[in-house]
Amino acid sequence: MSSAATDDATKAPSKDGNSAPEQNKRSPSDFLKAVLGRPVNVRLSSGTDYRGVLACLDGYMNIAMEQTEEYVDGQLTSKYGDCFIRGNNGKQCLSERNFSINL
Amino acid sequence: MSNRILPLELIDKAIGSPIWILMRGQTELTGILRGFDDYVNLVLDDAVEYSPDPRDKSVVVKKELKAEILLNGNHVAVLVPGGTGPEDSMAARST
Amino acid sequence: MFCKWESIVLSIGIIMEEPLDLIKLSIDERVYVKCRNDRELRGRLHAYDQHLNMVLGDVEETITSSEEDEETGEEIISKRTRNVGMLFVRGDIVVLVSPPLRTS
Repeated sequence: MSSAATDDATKAPSKDGNSAPEQNKRSPSDFLKAVLGRPVNVRLSSGTDYRGVLACLDGYMNIAMEQTEEYVDGQLTSKYGDCFIRGNNGKQCLSERNFSINL
Repeated sequence: MSNRILPLELIDKAIGSPIWILMRGQTELTGILRGFDDYVNLVLDDAVEYSPDPRDKSVVVKKELKAEILLNGNHVAVLVPGGTGPEDSMAARST
Repeated sequence: MFCKWESIVLSIGIIMEEPLDLIKLSIDERVYVKCRNDRELRGRLHAYDQHLNMVLGDVEETITSSEEDEETGEEIISKRTRNVGMLFVRGDIVVLVSPPLRTS
């Protein structure tokens, strides 16, 4: 295995795309397709939140965002025009401001 | 062999129902399970996060995320299908 | 796979297919790099690879540390900065990379 093995859990499932998602089912990759280009909240396991427009992401869950605001303990701490968030930073969740990506 | 239930089949049966998730570390979440993949990345609706207050670790902060979320499977430790969270388990303990 | 998404056109009009393209656009520019352990770097991006190992030049490093005052128990936050001519950053400590704010 390569050194990327630790990132495996964040990779896209290989089985997606072979059938239409069943009603009410929404796999992680369906979710990501739906949030691309939309405002999202990305939370790292450190508790830091990044809110911005999701520009793109890859199989390691590296993320590029635009108009990003950084929140620590709910307080706005900085703003970035564009920003790149590295994939394996124990991201916990991703949500659109109504979607969360907990990474 | 064939009557044995695979772990992820159990989770598949929980789609559409409440689920309680214990993360590595102190954080716990509850929500309605919408889907998952082979890495146990989870999609949740109406997620609620329970995490220790950074200033006083004995206090648990409940936070409604009010969103559909994607939870990274990397930090998932335990899944409890049908579980509605730590409050539920405390109620169960006191009876 | 994720990389098959239709390309997203950034507000600056450049097509970005994967997140690392954002880093590619920042080469020879001054970037801000947020690292683990409350370290921040600002410097010119000379080179990077897929792990996000980076070579930065004219770097200002800021280290933020917090200590508890023994008498009052208050949290004291201190920032130290230092300058380094050229350095290599190992990718696994990188949390975030941001190009300079583009003036519009």
